[in-house]
Amino acid sequence: MPIQINKGVLGKEFPPFAVTVERGKIKEFARAIGDLNPLYLDDRVGAASEWGDLIAPPTFAITFRDEGADTNALLRELGTDISRVLHGEQEFELHRPIRPGETFLCRSRVLDVYERTGKSGPMAFVVRETAVTDKANEIVATARHITVVRL
Amino acid sequence: MKYARVYAEDVKVGDELPPLAKGPIQQIQLTRYAGASGDFNPIHQDDEFAKAAGMGGVFAHGMLSMGFVAQALTDWAGAGRVRKIGVRFAALVRLEDTVTCRGRVLATSSKDDLHLVELEIWAENGKGEKVVTGKATVALPSRE
Repeated sequence: MPIQINKGVLGKEFPPFAVTVERGKIKEFARAIGDLNPLYLDDRVGAASEWGDLIAPPTFAITFRDEGADTNALLRELGTDISRVLHGEQEFELHRPIRPGETFLCRSRVLDVYERTGKSGPMAFVVRETAVTDKANEIVATARHITVVRL
Repeated sequence: MKYARVYAEDVKVGDELPPLAKGPIQQIQLTRYAGASGDFNPIHQDDEFAKAAGMGGVFAHGMLSMGFVAQALTDWAGAGRVRKIGVRFAALVRLEDTVTCRGRVLATSSKDDLHLVELEIWAENGKGEKVVTGKATVALPSRE
């Protein structure tokens, strides 16, 4: 019996949240991927680079989350739970590299909710966008995330 | 010459990235990626949970495979050069799978000092099945 997804989440805006990029988290993230690029790991190489410090790998913004928020709240609001969701697609637009010590503001909203039937049955797609801005209110990154819910 | 610098003038449509072979995927890497990324979905850690969810067992975070593809890109273009990267997670990556990341130049453009290269990017498992497909744009320096 397929579940029903709550399409009322379309257009939902989440409370903005701030993140501060920790030097050690950049290194931990790069090492977890097994990407040992010295620009991610070696402080001296970073300092001598055109960016003046370490930079984060291209997918690092996936770590930006609202630590104070209940991560399962959106899933509950959708009418599902974590055992039914898959990561369908992910995109990052990167306007400049991310460096340690920077504080950003993240604003997320639900851009689209739609249903399709694939090989493995009916599925709902929830498209979220997160805009990451710096203290000068310049856009640093835009992340688009498609969650697939197996109905 | 792992981090040799590539210049805009050196790139033409059809050029391929040096393939990057990652894996075989081990559980410890998924646990480590969970900690590093903050994605603690038990479907990547707990085989019983993953089976009960109908997924047939643990599989890797899509974002780990995307990280591999991004590495193939930055190994070639340089860290800090990626302007856009977007992927679809086409198939699950399982424990013991190898993931080979590839890419091919689709288009190049230059306007003033901005030299952009658009690529198709993908990753294959050991059977040659695509597990990630997508596109990326990198900004390269000029020799001038």
